[in-house]
Amino acid sequence: MLRQGSSDDIEDVSLFDADDEVSRRSKKSKIRHPVASFFHLFFRVSAIVVYLLCELLTSSFIACMVTIILLLSCDFWAVKNVTGRLMVGLRWWNQVDDDGRSHWKFESRKVSAQGHKTSSESESRIFWLGLITCPIIWVIFAFSALSSFKVKWLAVVMMGVVLQGANLYGYIRCKVGSRKNLTSMATSYLGKQFLRQTMAKEDQTAS
Amino acid sequence: MRVSCWRSLPTCGLQSTLFQLRDLKAVGKKFVHVMYPKKSSALLRDWDLWGPLVLCVSLALMLQGGSADSKEDGGPQFAEVFVIIWFGAVVITLNSKLLGGTISFFQSLCVLGYCVLPLTVAMLVCRLVLLAGSGTVSFIIRLIVVIAMFAWSTLASTAFLADSQPPHRKALVVYPIFLFYFVISWMILTFTPQ
Repeated sequence: MLRQGSSDDIEDVSLFDADDEVSRRSKKSKIRHPVASFFHLFFRVSAIVVYLLCELLTSSFIACMVTIILLLSCDFWAVKNVTGRLMVGLRWWNQVDDDGRSHWKFESRKVSAQGHKTSSESESRIFWLGLITCPIIWVIFAFSALSSFKVKWLAVVMMGVVLQGANLYGYIRCKVGSRKNLTSMATSYLGKQFLRQTMAKEDQTAS
Repeated sequence: MRVSCWRSLPTCGLQSTLFQLRDLKAVGKKFVHVMYPKKSSALLRDWDLWGPLVLCVSLALMLQGGSADSKEDGGPQFAEVFVIIWFGAVVITLNSKLLGGTISFFQSLCVLGYCVLPLTVAMLVCRLVLLAGSGTVSFIIRLIVVIAMFAWSTLASTAFLADSQPPHRKALVVYPIFLFYFVISWMILTFTPQ
């Protein structure tokens, strides 16, 4: 059983596909949705850049604040509705059923019957890198705003933390939800291996 | 926030832009529902926070008066209005949930945010009236407009929110909503441009 170097699942590859492996590896490193990848990073990074450079760009606090708010909202919408679905095949949303109760749904796209994986490694890397580092940066900004008593920026920074943290939390839950099958599979495989080794050792000591 | 195509990847991009228009239409429909508050499920079932964000930003901009970041103006700062609206809405939602309401957190935020629309309209009218002059007559006009819109906001949000409460607790839920819109109306009424 050949193990592909992906983070999502384990594939069985037969010997006949050995020459396809090279082409499959190059396909995996290609970026399939360049526009989505660009916008995934563009809104987040430009919100951070505007926040850092606002003093230099314009003397109007309001223009900066409105720009950052707009960028953060666009980023939230884009990451939640478009880039997560296209780049890593995950999605999460809220549903209210008829009796008024709300449920949060977290889903990950299953690998289709042909075994054709539709998310590439480099896209996945870009996605998770952007998703994880930006909320951390906003948390750092929050602490610096609190400690230097620049309270008027606190509203924007809290908004950044909340919106980007929400996306991070949602996608991590999607990922963990799908990984439950993976961990149980891995545990059973490891358990079988361990049992096999123990039996082999017992056979050796017995004979 | 809706999800669209999942399996049909080639047409995904087209559908993404299409459902953006659908989202905008949903926001517009909610605005109409606020102005004519009838028993409708649009605000509650398909909640979204884009409308409240737009209203909050425009109200905060209008309350600023163009005197950007000057320390001498008597009007509230942009960030203060933002914080008052969102923090106030969160506190009211927590209050209604603690009183045993059946409505969810984001649905309540959605309703409270959308019902700021009449007050935003009042702010627009006040600014136009203030362009004409700032004497006693203009103050009386502004007072009447603000009181009318404040009553409209409170009644609209009560129509949507009070039903989800147990009957003997309705007053306890309506009272903070009344205070919330009263504070916003006060900010609008006492606004004087530089």
